[in-house]
Amino acid sequence: KLGHPSELPPEPAPNYEGDEEFLRRVHHVLLEVEVLEGALQCPDSGRRFPITKGVPNMLLSEDEA
Amino acid sequence: SVVLAAARPPSPGMAEAEAAGDAGPGPGPGPAQEGAELAAVIGATVPTGFEQTAAEEVQEKLGSASRISRDRGKIYFEVPARSLPQVHRLRSVDNLFVVVQEFKDYQFKENKEDALKELEDLVKKLPWTDPLKVWELNNSLKKKKTKRKKHNLQSPASSEKLNDGGEEQGADQNNTNDQEDCAQNPAAVEPAGGQDTEKPQGVASRNGAEEEEVKEQSDVKDEVQASSGSETKAGDGQTDEGEAKVLRFRVTCNRAGEKHSFTSNEAARDFGGAVQEHFQWKADMTNFDVEVLLNIHNNEVVVGIALTEESLHRRNITHFGPTTLRSTLAYGMLRLCDPQPTDIIVDPMCGTGAIPIEGAAEWPSCYHIAGDNNPQAVKRAANNICSLLRKNENKDSSTALGAPLDIIQWDICNLPLRTGSVDIVVTDMPFGKRIGSKKKNWDLYPACLMEMGRICTPGTGRAVLLTQDKKCFAKALSRVGHIWRRAQTVWVNVGGLHAAVYLLRRTWERAEERRSFW
Repeated sequence: KLGHPSELPPEPAPNYEGDEEFLRRVHHVLLEVEVLEGALQCPDSGRRFPITKGVPNMLLSEDEA
Repeated sequence: SVVLAAARPPSPGMAEAEAAGDAGPGPGPGPAQEGAELAAVIGATVPTGFEQTAAEEVQEKLGSASRISRDRGKIYFEVPARSLPQVHRLRSVDNLFVVVQEFKDYQFKENKEDALKELEDLVKKLPWTDPLKVWELNNSLKKKKTKRKKHNLQSPASSEKLNDGGEEQGADQNNTNDQEDCAQNPAAVEPAGGQDTEKPQGVASRNGAEEEEVKEQSDVKDEVQASSGSETKAGDGQTDEGEAKVLRFRVTCNRAGEKHSFTSNEAARDFGGAVQEHFQWKADMTNFDVEVLLNIHNNEVVVGIALTEESLHRRNITHFGPTTLRSTLAYGMLRLCDPQPTDIIVDPMCGTGAIPIEGAAEWPSCYHIAGDNNPQAVKRAANNICSLLRKNENKDSSTALGAPLDIIQWDICNLPLRTGSVDIVVTDMPFGKRIGSKKKNWDLYPACLMEMGRICTPGTGRAVLLTQDKKCFAKALSRVGHIWRRAQTVWVNVGGLHAAVYLLRRTWERAEERRSFW
């Protein structure tokens, strides 16, 4: 969802631990890319959590908690 | 009190000192013989309660064993003088000094005049030569060094502490405790509390100390100025050490114990007079080159020379609130949980982010996650993280190196983290005075412990929690005994308040599967 859809497979392959190329891409996405403005989306509920200046807001509303 | 195994035996080049005089000397490094390497016995002040942790860091990074003195909050270790740069990089120590001489069992004369005279006479008998060489070496290091990372780092967070620092200072002026000069006086101190206002341990004593020291210096200065022309002549001349420039000095005395016939003021004044006489240095309370330390704790006397800038350090606390000290306490807490590479470390009530930031700096092979529900706290923590990242910027390239650290705004009772996915939870629990309330803690503490128990990995997970509300914490803990076991308690002093750091281990019992939201 970061705009790099072609680089990462939807799920890790069975032996992903040995696949260095894959690991590099995951490392890049996890540790080298920072989302400054955007959102995190729950895959189950679709609920979006806004990200402002690099900080996601994951506080629940009254009725959600 | 705990005393660790003694340092390794002195190397051939160093004889144990035998100071002349009646004072009953203890061991200290003797003057180095020709060709021997300059060594130093270093004294370090550390957050009270974390002496053991600091000793471990010293062992790990310098290879030296430490002694923990009965005067709490201090450890002593011996290193070659060339290791000074590494000594300055220790994260668990607040201030450093080089020991001139230690007296384990100094017998003070009962009569005040006699006791003070004896202290004066002591000056010329002390082995100043090597410690002064270490001091010189340290000076040349200071000139090269840029401002310390943690000093810089905490500044953005510190503006909010302005009031607290002021309150602390004001409250402590009426210290009339006879037993201890430069004492801590918890009753007089404005209570600290809450996520953002964790006080550095010893702020009260430092403020007390500051007050004492100001008096001592002016006493010494007055002594010198009040006398006739001999001092002014001495000020222009060369020192005994053969230095071209006349050094300026001050004496700082910390005294604790019931049986002394004199105050720290008096001791500093008279000792200072003798130092001035012996070295022909000039007394100056603000612009000094050499800060001589006279630490008296019952019968334990330590004479030292400061290696860190005490006044600069205290200026931080006065204007910015708890900054540098908090970093050492954060370090101590993190060390207590023994982070391993790839551990996920979460601070769910991070405030301005002191703990995760220290964590990311010292344990970069762990991943640190900080969170808070308060938007101001989150903002400040994010700013502090930016400062850290800027410092790490590689000046040669345009890319900034990242830090294994992230911040999220969240609710401690509804953490957006999977069950059993976190290795370590480390946090400063609200004290219920400045932030929150005792009643709130009553409900908050058990809920926190449950949620922290849920996210923490069964069996291997651990938590390190700092709190002043020990009663509430103990009660909450008793309700979650199936998830958390108490492994260790460290009694600490945070801004004059008696607090505790609890190390908890996560039991093997799995948490109930999370209710539906996450």
